[in-house]
Amino acid sequence: MLENQSKELSENREDEITRQLCANGLFMKTTEVEAKLDEGNIQEAESSLREGLSLNSEEARALLGRLEYQRGNLEGALRLFEGIDLQAEIQRLQASAPPPEKPVTKKNRPREPQQQPVPQHAASLVLEAIYLKAKSLQKLGRTTEAARECKSVLDSVEKIFQQGISDAQVDTRLQETVSHAVELLPALFKDSGDYQEAISAYRRALLSQWNLDNDSCARIQKDFAVFLLHSGVEASPPSLASQVEGSYTPRNNLEEAILLLMILIKKFNSGKAKWDPSVIEHLTFALSLCSQTSVVAKQLEEVMPGVFTRVERWNSLALCYSAAGQTSAAVNLLRKSLHKHEQPDDLVALLLAAKLCSEEPSLAAEGAGYAERGVKNAQGMDEHLKGVGLRMLGLCLGKQAKVPTSDFERSRLQSESLKALDGAIAFEHNNPDLIFELGVQYAEQRNLKAASRYAKEFIDATGGSVLKGWRFLALVLSAQQRFSEAEVVTDAALDETAKWDQGPLLRLKAKLKISQSNPTEAVETYRYLLALVQAQRKSFGPLRTLSQMEQDRVNEFEVWHGLAYLYSSLSHWNDVEVCRMWEGRKEFKPALAAFLDGLLLDESSVPCKVAVGALLCERGKEYQPTLPVARSLLSDALRIDPTNRKAWYYLGMVHKHDGRIADATDCFQAASMLEESDPIESFSTIL
Amino acid sequence: MSESASSHDSPPAPTIAGDSQTTAANESDTNAKCQTAIQSLSSIVTTTTIPSTISLLLDDSAVSAAISSLLQRPDSGSGDNNLCRWLYDTFQSTEPSLHLLVLRFVPLIAGLYLSRVPLRQPQAGFEAVLLALYAHETTSRADQAVTVNIPDLSHPSIYHESKGPAKNNSTCLNIAVVSSTLDPHGTIRESTRRARIVGVALELYYSEIARMPRESKLDFCGACEKWAGQNGETRAGVVPEEEESVAVARSEKDGGRIPLPWELVQPMMRILGHCLMGMKVEDREVKEAASKACQSLYLRALHDINPKAILAAGSLLRLREMALDPKNQIDHTEISNDNVLSV
Repeated sequence: MLENQSKELSENREDEITRQLCANGLFMKTTEVEAKLDEGNIQEAESSLREGLSLNSEEARALLGRLEYQRGNLEGALRLFEGIDLQAEIQRLQASAPPPEKPVTKKNRPREPQQQPVPQHAASLVLEAIYLKAKSLQKLGRTTEAARECKSVLDSVEKIFQQGISDAQVDTRLQETVSHAVELLPALFKDSGDYQEAISAYRRALLSQWNLDNDSCARIQKDFAVFLLHSGVEASPPSLASQVEGSYTPRNNLEEAILLLMILIKKFNSGKAKWDPSVIEHLTFALSLCSQTSVVAKQLEEVMPGVFTRVERWNSLALCYSAAGQTSAAVNLLRKSLHKHEQPDDLVALLLAAKLCSEEPSLAAEGAGYAERGVKNAQGMDEHLKGVGLRMLGLCLGKQAKVPTSDFERSRLQSESLKALDGAIAFEHNNPDLIFELGVQYAEQRNLKAASRYAKEFIDATGGSVLKGWRFLALVLSAQQRFSEAEVVTDAALDETAKWDQGPLLRLKAKLKISQSNPTEAVETYRYLLALVQAQRKSFGPLRTLSQMEQDRVNEFEVWHGLAYLYSSLSHWNDVEVCRMWEGRKEFKPALAAFLDGLLLDESSVPCKVAVGALLCERGKEYQPTLPVARSLLSDALRIDPTNRKAWYYLGMVHKHDGRIADATDCFQAASMLEESDPIESFSTIL
Repeated sequence: MSESASSHDSPPAPTIAGDSQTTAANESDTNAKCQTAIQSLSSIVTTTTIPSTISLLLDDSAVSAAISSLLQRPDSGSGDNNLCRWLYDTFQSTEPSLHLLVLRFVPLIAGLYLSRVPLRQPQAGFEAVLLALYAHETTSRADQAVTVNIPDLSHPSIYHESKGPAKNNSTCLNIAVVSSTLDPHGTIRESTRRARIVGVALELYYSEIARMPRESKLDFCGACEKWAGQNGETRAGVVPEEEESVAVARSEKDGGRIPLPWELVQPMMRILGHCLMGMKVEDREVKEAASKACQSLYLRALHDINPKAILAAGSLLRLREMALDPKNQIDHTEISNDNVLSV
């Protein structure tokens, strides 16, 4: 009734700025007492209130305190609140509360509607006074004292309402004070630097029964998550008392923060709390730190429509998926967002799309289109991204050149790729990645001098810290037929590399040994490599990642392949030495089997095709029917990699066995031309 | 580390106070170590007086500034550098307060070290310090990766109820690796592991970040900007205050750009997140420096088209923007300002 009256009144007098004091159905203008307060006459102000509104002394002081607080006179408010013996009031209230029962847990507490009615009005008055005291102290910068007062509000509430607070039994004013205090306490501890207290205050807020409304609960959850993520203070795990059997309890800050943020998103999605855009950003940050961007994607997909525009959503999803290695999902999303009816000029989306397409020969042409649009749109503030666009264009064109087309088309694409990369370097002369890519592109076109210059530049710029730089230089040297130098580089690289990461270098070394006609040492190196790869397979659980090795790991099959190759080449020589022919023959079958396994694993593997083709061709000398198979495998290999010297050579052999001498001559010529510039492993293996 | 290694599910038990004799012995041992550190420092830093206790030394900005300027000398990282030797010895003492003293300079050391790598200077001194930090972390993690569980909300947790079947704590959860298992490394000469070693040093730094002085955090933000190497490039939202000076200084600043693999970017982001959102006292200068560093890293991520870094840095930048928006600065704990005050 009282509230209704005051509401009406405030509505009636909305135009007036003068405030009113009201109690027991009586009203008073604030100006009357304000004058007295300004003169420092607290006693008089108090007595005029007591008379005017028929209040007792505590009530009058509490009301005056609130008035002073609202006027921003914090010192005055504090003086007034200190004039009330709040502790005595609380003890009086506690006495009227029902006797303590068993301790309250958060969930499933027994509902007992029958409870001695707590004098809510009195409780509300006292608790609000203490709360405002805490607020005043906070605003005066005395956070430690403020925290103490605020904590006493919550302690008192727990004592007075021993069964927690529920909707039915509490008046709104009291609930408001309680909710405020619950939210304020952790912030006060945080500001006063008492981090462990802050953590327990947050948990107390979230795990006890305060009857908070959804929005304030959501705010506390978010604040706690931010605190856990960024304070740099490790929270101890939640107390055992709060853990419920069978429910998930986070072990550390990051887990607890992620849990809270995910719960928040769920609340937003179900409409239980108001959408707060910062929550998804915090969650994105936390999950990207754990490399769990696919979880971010899942969360984004569940966000209610209307929060993000669809292009925003597609682009964020594409970033998440591409970071999680799900390239085709990312490309599909980017195609949608870059459609001419959506946002075709979004630079970041264009560049990301180009990058993703540059990794896949069949998408390279599409990627080149995105890159060109990116270059065109890199203007104004974004002009610095022009170099990135050109770089992506170069990469896409280079990749496109690998897709079987005419030789003319291939060389056109290659030279355009070089032009784009050269253009990019004008913008980003200090970008080692670009230097590397330019080098590889030169190498692909067999401009080995330029390639080796860029390879060296890359190693310098990265201080030798990137493994692929070393490998690239070794490959370029091997292409220049400088095998011993290539081996020196490989050995240097082995020195710079931890044991676990040495796989690709060892493989390279073994091949270099073979090139230098040193099969025994090659076998030795392969054996060592095999031991390493097998040890890795055994010890690498899901928790061990190899930073630089991920795309580049030597798989066991590859090593067997290398060994088989080696043995088969030994058998080739054995052919010459008739006395060891049987030994060599014995190894034909396992070698062939190994390569066929390889083909089954990766049907576009050029080395496997060439190897099988070669073996069949060797055999074809005595067993003609295998020759057509060999021929088609080798032609296939050349379609994918026209610079494969071995493929040309064996194709020549096939033609020779079949009696097509002119064709054979052409093939041998191509092989011999390529031999002068053939790297020991294809350049495209390292980009 | 802020996350427990997966082998330690509970925090280490507090050291049980033994009999008073051992406690006293430990204390005197500690004191002796600290005194040795202080004495040897006073022979290196001669420009200012060294305070007599470690706790004073930790907060002494004059000494920190003197050490910083010594570190920034061109030949500071060499193997025979006194200061590097002091930092190394001090960290080896296994005294927590002395560890803090060394960690305070990690941003400067890491920043200088990585940016100087292409210059091919001898840096054995810096390397020794960084390796000591790495070795310390390797031992304390005991061959365990740092992991977190990504919760599945269909199972109940302490913060929410769910109709789904209750599951055990760690079953059926998605485990994410925050920091992979550390292999012991004898030398930093294995240059391909350089980024990982520095990254681990930064992880260690982050674990004590709440106790680091603001100057140290400013050093870190400076290092980030240098590493990102995106000076003078702007994007909507950044104010190009010092365009001319940037153009002049560009060639000099170019030198600092380094490859930024995720093992470096991840701890960098965490430290920047703290500088932007986790500091105890509102510190505008640190926040602004961190936000500039973040901007540079975001641009760098765009140049590298590194989606994970774009996501992380982009989120930090958007959060910074939201925090600056007055709309989001409402105090929800304020009482309603009614015109009618009632009891």
